Order: sequence, then C-alpha cells, then structure tokens
Amino acid sequence: MSATGFLARSLFVHRVGSRSVFTSSKRDTNSPNWLRVGLAFGSSVFLWSLLFKQHSGDVLEYKLRNNID
Amino acid sequence: MGWIPDEGKGLPPPGVVNRNSIWLGGMGWCAAMLHNAIKHRPPLKSGVHRQVLLTTIGWFLGYHVTKYENYVHAKLDREMNEYMKLHPDRFAPKEKKTFAEIVEPFIPVR
Repeated sequence: MSATGFLARSLFVHRVGSRSVFTSSKRDTNSPNWLRVGLAFGSSVFLWSLLFKQHSGDVLEYKLRNNID
Repeated sequence: MGWIPDEGKGLPPPGVVNRNSIWLGGMGWCAAMLHNAIKHRPPLKSGVHRQVLLTTIGWFLGYHVTKYENYVHAKLDREMNEYMKLHPDRFAPKEKKTFAEIVEPFIPVR
C-alpha cells in the first residue's frame, strides 16, 4: 500500500487512545504576578545599593593608597 | 574585584555615571522593550519592573567593565613609558623648523 493510503487509514483510528491529567488555561494578563514584580524591584534595589557601596569603597581605597586627604 | 590585581586598586575609580554603564544600561532597557514588543505588549508602559531590572544589571556590569578598561589602559601606558625611558635614543625629539625657513619665495607668474 502507498504511504498516502496508510495515512488515510489513520483517520479512522480512535482519536483518544490515552488520557492525560494535564490541564492548561490561558495566562491571565490583567493581574500582575506580584511575586515576580517584587523580586525584580527588590533585586534592582539590591544591585544599586551594591554599586554605590562598591564605588565608595573604591574611592576610599584609592585615597588611602595615594595618601590623599 | 576578581579580575583586577592589587596594583589596579590604586587607580582612580570610575564615576557611577560612566560611558559603559550608560551604554549597557541602555542596551538592557532596549532588550526589555524589545521583549515587550515581540510579545505584543505596549513597549514602554508594560513590564516596568523588567525594564528597571535589565537597566540596573547593564549599569552594574558597565561600571565593572569601565574599571577593568581603566586598569588595562593604565598598564599599557606604564609599559610604554618604561620602554621609552629604557630606549631614549629611539625617541629623540625632532628639531622644529619654523614655517619661515621652509617656505620658498613667492614669484607670481603672470
């Protein structure tokens, strides 16, 4: 039998041969995922404070090494 | 930092606002806006937390990139100056001629 013949016969195969427990729904875009928003803003605040701390540490180190002030 | 040795800590540190920070922060912001645009969301108004986070990460990385760049340039400059001190014969100052000595007299041809 040709390939197309085989494919045509597959139409008559019972469609639901197995059952699945998974469900899915469309993502709700109206209500924000507050956990993710909080984590993003929190890590931004953390990174900015880390940057300013490192910068002031670098300035202090530079002044100490070159005996300024 | 991990990749700058001890001698590099004597260099003046870059400011919080520096060229690489601005560029990488802008890249992070554009990445967030592009992500919004691809997902058919309003580019500027949606996902502000994403924009802020990506901009911050870019800014932070740019600061350390600038620090490393300053260190590499300082090292190269120091090596170049040491070489110039060791070989002064190769870097003799050229004697300068004034323009009056070079210029030929002007003879108009009519």
